[in-house]
Amino acid sequence: MRAAKKTSRLGVFHRKDILFYCALMAYPVLQFVIFYIVVNANSILLAFRSYDTMTGAVTWVGFANLKEAFRMMTQQLELLDAMKNSFLAYFVTLVIGTPLALLFSFYIYKELPASGIFRVLLFMPSIVSAIVMVTIFQFFSDRAVPEIFTKVFGAETYQGLIENPQTRFGTVMFYNIFVGFGTATLMYSNAMDAISPDQVDAAKLEGAVGIREFVYITFPMIYPTFSTFFITGVATIFTNQYNLYSFFGDGSSIQTYGYWLYVKVAGAASQSEYPVLAAVGIFLTVIAVPLTLIVKKLLEKFGPSED
Amino acid sequence: MQTVSKRLKSSETRLSLLTVLLLILLVLYALMLVGLLVWAFLTSFKSQQEFRVNVIGLPQTWVWNYTFVFQMYLYPVFTEMGTQYVGMGLMFLYSLLYAVGCAFTATLVPCITSYLCARFPYRFGKLIYLIVIVTMVIPIVGSQPSEIQVAKFLGFYDQIWGLWLMKANFLGMYFLVFFGIFRGIPKEYEEAAKMDGAGNFAILFRIMLPLVRNTFFVVMLIRFIEFWNDYQTPLIYLKSYPTVALGMFNMANTRENGLSTVPMRMTGAMLMLLPILAIFLVFQRRLIGNLTVGGIKG
Repeated sequence: MRAAKKTSRLGVFHRKDILFYCALMAYPVLQFVIFYIVVNANSILLAFRSYDTMTGAVTWVGFANLKEAFRMMTQQLELLDAMKNSFLAYFVTLVIGTPLALLFSFYIYKELPASGIFRVLLFMPSIVSAIVMVTIFQFFSDRAVPEIFTKVFGAETYQGLIENPQTRFGTVMFYNIFVGFGTATLMYSNAMDAISPDQVDAAKLEGAVGIREFVYITFPMIYPTFSTFFITGVATIFTNQYNLYSFFGDGSSIQTYGYWLYVKVAGAASQSEYPVLAAVGIFLTVIAVPLTLIVKKLLEKFGPSED
Repeated sequence: MQTVSKRLKSSETRLSLLTVLLLILLVLYALMLVGLLVWAFLTSFKSQQEFRVNVIGLPQTWVWNYTFVFQMYLYPVFTEMGTQYVGMGLMFLYSLLYAVGCAFTATLVPCITSYLCARFPYRFGKLIYLIVIVTMVIPIVGSQPSEIQVAKFLGFYDQIWGLWLMKANFLGMYFLVFFGIFRGIPKEYEEAAKMDGAGNFAILFRIMLPLVRNTFFVVMLIRFIEFWNDYQTPLIYLKSYPTVALGMFNMANTRENGLSTVPMRMTGAMLMLLPILAIFLVFQRRLIGNLTVGGIKG
């Protein structure tokens, strides 16, 4: 028994344990190496290559793709718009969606009237296909809402909320917040359920009830879960499509980077279009990484204490 | 005991201004959501002629659009032999193969990897944990063209089994969910099994996996729904195997006569919505039950 036991820098282990560990760890590690490390390394290399459309021959073009990507990102109206909308959409969902998700979770956690039904309803849009929800919402906004307005406000003809360019962005944002409570509410309310009732009772004796209970007890106790969602949310600023492809296919007048990149990749006639997209991706990663790390540091520094 | 804790939880909070405001908001939310779905359901029973004059009311004449849409719900697949049309039956089969396979591999791999990291004292496990955290925090943008190239190189492109393998990674939130559970299982379970002569595989399959089977089931169900509803991955990676969701996307954008009307589109939406809604209503207690995730350190 002792002979089989070895001590190394890895710690105390058995040979059989090592074999078992390696056998089961082999596939996940290989998968990670291929579909994360190789894919991302290839993506960086792609930004320095060019493909001949006719022959598919590869040539190295130095920084040409990066220069072109930079020119597009700083001069093309479409991409300037995409940058603005990516941040704006993130900000809107953060400022409106996140507090609502937290407060709805609080309502469910406190098991207030009909909380069980609300929990199911808030989660329901998450299980329905985006394309189904969008199709229903889009036609409701464009056909049923004008009809309702006409019935309520008089005989005037109203334009649909998606059809109308002035209300389009706001309606799409409303939709994203409307269907976006599912996972967050689920995770927040489950985390709230784990709060010790003794702590809540002790706080109540000191007058922490209602909004004070939420601010001083509940929120600090679920802060780790909240910060996880917050940080991973920042990481999606340039990848979130905000359902634009489901709403408009490849013809949206509203652009975000997540949408723009998907449309370009899905519509690429050949791989000759990939290098510039990979170069744009590098620039966006260079912006997103420090931003995410700064937000993470700020959340750690200024977050509430559990004490 | 449970009743007492329930009473403690809700007492004093019940009538505050905050909860009344939240109740109003939640009632509005519920009315809107149910209203949307009811409107779509009712519209699916209207003819186009009736819909033109009766957009929001009950159908005056109930029309059965479902058979027509089921038969016309076709997706064009472009092959070397020309364009072939895939019907809804085959799309359901592709959806099942894609969603069940991907859900299984995408649940099994984080489950097993987190087990190894949580229960074995090797430093490599800490590295894997760190990788999960770092990849959650550090966003990589625009790597899809590269992923397509790698998938094509490996022969995974346009293959359902290829996507099973591509989705079988340990990265993401569910690794942390399983990790938390495996960490919380007392060591006595393993020690007792070892005393009875159980090996590592027996401990994993007879003790550990049964202990997490509820969570495994819930995660797999969530992922199944996610893959069943996903049309963007099949649009790029499964051009020869259109799924129902992709068919719905095609229908939502079609200009084809007969299918491009609002009642027909709502019928298509209902055909796709109803099976998932049924699964959700059956399993909703388990689905929205016990998943928790903590903070990310590192």
